[in-house]
Amino acid sequence: MRFSWFHLMPYRWLPADFRERYHGVWVDVPNRLYDPERGHELYNEYLDMLEYAGQMGFDGLGVNEHHQNAYGMMPSPNLMAAALARRSTEAMLLVLGNSIALYNPPVRVAEEFAMLDVMSGGRLIAGFPVGTSMDTNYCYGVNPATLRERYREAHDLIIKAWATREPFPWNGKYTKLRYVNLWPRPIQQPHPPIWIPGLGSIETWDFCVEHDYNYSYLSFSGYKRAQRMLDGYWERRAALGADPNPHSAAFFQQVCLSDTDGTCEREWWPHVDYFFNKCLHLYPGMTGAPGYMSEASMRAGIVAQIGNTSLNLGRDKSWKELCDERYIVAGSPRTVRQQLEELCRSLRVGHLLLGLHIGSAPIELVNRATYLCANEVLPHLRPIWNEWEDRWWPKALPATRRAEPGSRNAAARERVERPAAGDEAVRP
Amino acid sequence: MSAPLTRLIELGPARPQVEVLESGDGPALLFLHGAGGIPAWEGALPRLARAFRVYAPLLPGFGQSTGLEYLEDEHDLFLHGFDVMEALGLERPYVVGESMGGWLAAEMAALRPKEIGRLALAAPVGLWRDEAPLPDMFGMMVHELVPYLFHDQTCPAAAQMLAVTQLFGARDDRTDEQVELLLSLVRGFRTAAKFLFPIPEHGLERRLWRITAPTLVLWGAEDRFAKPLYGRIFAEKIRGARLEIVPEAGHLIGLERPEPYVEALVRWGRDGR
Repeated sequence: MRFSWFHLMPYRWLPADFRERYHGVWVDVPNRLYDPERGHELYNEYLDMLEYAGQMGFDGLGVNEHHQNAYGMMPSPNLMAAALARRSTEAMLLVLGNSIALYNPPVRVAEEFAMLDVMSGGRLIAGFPVGTSMDTNYCYGVNPATLRERYREAHDLIIKAWATREPFPWNGKYTKLRYVNLWPRPIQQPHPPIWIPGLGSIETWDFCVEHDYNYSYLSFSGYKRAQRMLDGYWERRAALGADPNPHSAAFFQQVCLSDTDGTCEREWWPHVDYFFNKCLHLYPGMTGAPGYMSEASMRAGIVAQIGNTSLNLGRDKSWKELCDERYIVAGSPRTVRQQLEELCRSLRVGHLLLGLHIGSAPIELVNRATYLCANEVLPHLRPIWNEWEDRWWPKALPATRRAEPGSRNAAARERVERPAAGDEAVRP
Repeated sequence: MSAPLTRLIELGPARPQVEVLESGDGPALLFLHGAGGIPAWEGALPRLARAFRVYAPLLPGFGQSTGLEYLEDEHDLFLHGFDVMEALGLERPYVVGESMGGWLAAEMAALRPKEIGRLALAAPVGLWRDEAPLPDMFGMMVHELVPYLFHDQTCPAAAQMLAVTQLFGARDDRTDEQVELLLSLVRGFRTAAKFLFPIPEHGLERRLWRITAPTLVLWGAEDRFAKPLYGRIFAEKIRGARLEIVPEAGHLIGLERPEPYVEALVRWGRDGR
């Protein structure tokens, strides 16, 4: 098993009556609610949490992309990964990811991911989500009718740009470039491992199998509700003749970890409440622009797609309900260990993305959870699925060949920090 | 009101298949529907069929029309309009378009002015003014859209539409028939979104001068979806166009006030005044 510490970076200061006064947390939530000075504090606090997770030995640090959104303040996750690359020198950088249909030209993604891979010494995992309808259609104005075709074309272009050593022309439907010639190109060959976050469409599973990409299910409703979907994934893999390698799948789970089961609710409930009842306050009118979903997917989930008015992502549930239904895995290290083991085995996932921060949780609480998780939970779970090779993990440069941030300054300091030699001597 | 003749037209391989509703006797009237399609042969259409031979083709995604994938952008859509006209053997017809269909009619008349005999645009979309943004019909729940479409929320058509929107929402007791109805509505919206998302404007304003067909612009005085100021712009920019405001009508004039609506369309189509 490999474990990544995944941050959503929600805004912590939504007003108490947010749900009554605003119809959603996304797209058209007015930015007068955002205080940039508090934002400055939050970014730094959140990066501190991630860096601490790196120091505690988490395998990966995860960030993702959302737009015009108070629950995820990372329109550009690449900036976060770049900040992490310099201060977290061991953990892999899981950027999950860039919605590649939104970039024009998409080589921008190829460039930035290559930069991250080079900066970090080959520690990048490159995520290629299609992106939610809110992000792609409503915030970035991409037509739902062509979104997926754009996505496929952007994907093909990025992969070719990474793999090709001479300039080449690209005559696509959506992108036309006379010269594609990537500088820099990634350290990892032929490219960093690619993970595809999805919501359970067969098309996405087929795409992952076809290209041997990792399929990541980023769910906010926990592992029990994900069972059917992951079962579908494994069945589809089998039908396509792919191996049942657990590392081909990743799952996101919110976790609330305390010293004891008894203190957990008191410590975490306000932050859990903030997450499920404010951060996930989604306006149903914008969850799927017409054409975002295929008709088959729509037929399968007709309630969700066509204007479901009470889209339930854990809203108005009690602490006990959220725990029992495993929206959150909560409790002492022992409880969390048991439930996460059940998660890994029942879903058959080799990669676990842990949401150890939730909602409005402050750093003292979160870092304690990170510490407990690293020391008392993960060691017990690591051996699971060891018999399977993980083909979806970065092949970073060995530590001996990786530059150490700051080390060049230290080495040069003595020679450069001295008074000017005086140019009188060289004046004509 | 007899049911219209329904037929399917094959335009050729890798091209859409078009369902056409036909009814009435008289000069040809090509009717281009809005984003709601033509769910029933009632209201304005049967009345128009008393004065004209009405041809109402459905865009791909509406009714039994298929092949949206062959219309990749708005230019394909405009040309598709002419393809259908030709397949129906219509020469210089009287073209009536509502809302999205009005936009299509205006674009066609600007693209090939000589092929449109006469034009009536009922609250067409296609223009944009920052001071009067059209509501985002693709970014709200259906029941929230209804108030934008009618002046009188209690008129039968509004009540009927709201009843359909009741089917949307969190429930699992829908009959198969109701599910199919919802899917058909969503399919139609998907077509509309393909050409009108996210802003229903593709430069029509700079082409309006090209229209030579005698043009009637009809607008509901109380249109909250596309404010009447757009009617004035259409009337100003299309040479010789006549603007007629229908009192106590919202965006869907034909559904809310069928009598004055049909009266104006018939008058324009027959006598040009």
